[in-house]
Amino acid sequence: MSYYIQEINRIKGICFSNEFQLDVAINTKRYIDANFDQEIKLDLLAHIHYTSKFHLIRLFKKYHGITPRQYLIGKRISEAKKNLKSGKSVSDTCYAVGFCSLNSFSNLFKAKTGMSPSNFRKAIFDKSKS
Amino acid sequence: MRIKIVSIPVSDQQKALDFYTDILGFVKKVDMPLSEGNRWLTLVSKYDQDGPELLLEPAPVHYAPSKVYQDELKKSGIPWTQFYVDNVQEEYDRLSKLGVEFSMKPTEMGTVVVAVFDDTNGNYIQLVEEK
Repeated sequence: MSYYIQEINRIKGICFSNEFQLDVAINTKRYIDANFDQEIKLDLLAHIHYTSKFHLIRLFKKYHGITPRQYLIGKRISEAKKNLKSGKSVSDTCYAVGFCSLNSFSNLFKAKTGMSPSNFRKAIFDKSKS
Repeated sequence: MRIKIVSIPVSDQQKALDFYTDILGFVKKVDMPLSEGNRWLTLVSKYDQDGPELLLEPAPVHYAPSKVYQDELKKSGIPWTQFYVDNVQEEYDRLSKLGVEFSMKPTEMGTVVVAVFDDTNGNYIQLVEEK
């Protein structure tokens, strides 16, 4: 057995032996993946897993390295890029990926990508013409 | 500052290009001749062709310490880098049928599934699926 496989097994035993916690973290991510375009109700999810919202957030961070909110924002921005690339308008994209305000969508998109949604869309369009 | 290129050392650029495109499915992006038969050779994922480029770098051929480092990692079974896939088991089945050798079969590792294969150019590469 290689050194790497030994290390994988050792770390797995230390970090990932609590299957209940892992299931909560994985199911929460799947819930966000399936519902990113709606209001995310972590209270409900916590209730399903017989835990508190705050514990759920702690478990998510422990196993995914980021908070559920950070993951949700990343997911929405990633989906927004796909929508804009497919030709959807900025406002349609905003609501399609779960934002309620065009302003907060534009600010967050710019903060995460370095470009406003409209400039991102324009850059894609210009590139496809050239 | 942006992450545009990450490099991987390869023992033979043409052989690596064939493996990474024909077997793994990457797409050649830049192929620019340099001196003494070397090339500036980069690949991208076919699903993200504007994304980061993978530079196939012939460092182990020209710089002995690079080969020593590459060889030592390989001996220990440590992957040089990792690529993300939707389903590790399916990719394992597909690549195995094409003759790719795996040093680690699909293995659950917390929130991911991983597997490790030999890239035939001196490196192990890890596949990762997020659960």
